[in-house]
Amino acid sequence: MKHGTSGEVHAHWAGNRLTGRVGADPWTRAQVALTGLLALNPSQAIYFRRQVDDSGARLRENCRYRIAGGALPGRWWSVTVYAADDYLPLNHDDALSFDATEVQRNGAGRWSATVAPDRPAQGAWASTRNAGDFDLTLRIYNPTPQAQADFGAIAFPTVERIGCNKTPRA
Amino acid sequence: MRRPVLLLAAFAVTALLVHLGAIVAAPRVIMALAIGKLGQGGAAVNRFQFSRRTNAQSRDVVRPSPDLAYASCVYDLEKGPLLVEAAPTPGGGYASVSVFAGNTDNIGVFDTIANPQGVRFALVRAGEPFPDKAVRLQLPLVVSPSRKGVILDRRLAPTQAAFDLADKARRADRCAPL
Repeated sequence: MKHGTSGEVHAHWAGNRLTGRVGADPWTRAQVALTGLLALNPSQAIYFRRQVDDSGARLRENCRYRIAGGALPGRWWSVTVYAADDYLPLNHDDALSFDATEVQRNGAGRWSATVAPDRPAQGAWASTRNAGDFDLTLRIYNPTPQAQADFGAIAFPTVERIGCNKTPRA
Repeated sequence: MRRPVLLLAAFAVTALLVHLGAIVAAPRVIMALAIGKLGQGGAAVNRFQFSRRTNAQSRDVVRPSPDLAYASCVYDLEKGPLLVEAAPTPGGGYASVSVFAGNTDNIGVFDTIANPQGVRFALVRAGEPFPDKAVRLQLPLVVSPSRKGVILDRRLAPTQAAFDLADKARRADRCAPL
């Protein structure tokens, strides 16, 4: 996203309004080919990626994070963990992501989920076991026209570091 | 003094040209590799292939979504246009069919929200005449700038039960000569 002329970052989430579009510039095309081949254009889905928590520290397997947010501007959304090689982390936890159908919302419509190497006592969870230094991808499907046009208007989820072990798991 | 400066300038210009060339070439090269992999080296062209449920071992394409069921059709328009059809998933779960040209551009996309009865369109190569049959059947047309590319069917399937439903529906997908 750094090179694309329409790449932008909001609340540590990086996205590009030209992803998948016919008018994408060569840098955006190259970026998409390398890290998001066959990505949909923004009328169907918008994609955001982050590698750091809210304090700006790198997302790491040996830490636990609380992801929290409210309503997102689309019909459905998901948050997925990817390892540094741009593939899903090699684990058997069957918890590679969490989505809009899994999170529990409170009366105000707020939700939270855990991103960590171990399953939390309750709530939605995405496992980072064997993820190393990882990133999170937020996909919003059938985004509203306003969200497509103005990423800055999206109330992005926060990523708060709860704590870390001293060394990654073996 | 002048010769080192000229050599340095020549090196810088060469490096810049190589960099720009790589930037421009990368999408087509990577897409060609994906076409080869998804099309099983040419053995599976103009027909849908159905991916298993995405898991940690899925390595066909970078950054797969574990919440979607995928079916892909590598297309080759050498022998003429294609008819592409996809039925909706029972229960109304999101499904979309998207077309990607050889340069990675998403040149067409249809979903079952706008098309609740299912997706149906014709795919034709740029510069070729619109097929009479497509016009007669009033099919939407997607025009591909490249002879080869990929058609991708995505269906919402965050659970095994949802995947089973999506899998049953996608088996009716069609990607064949018009």
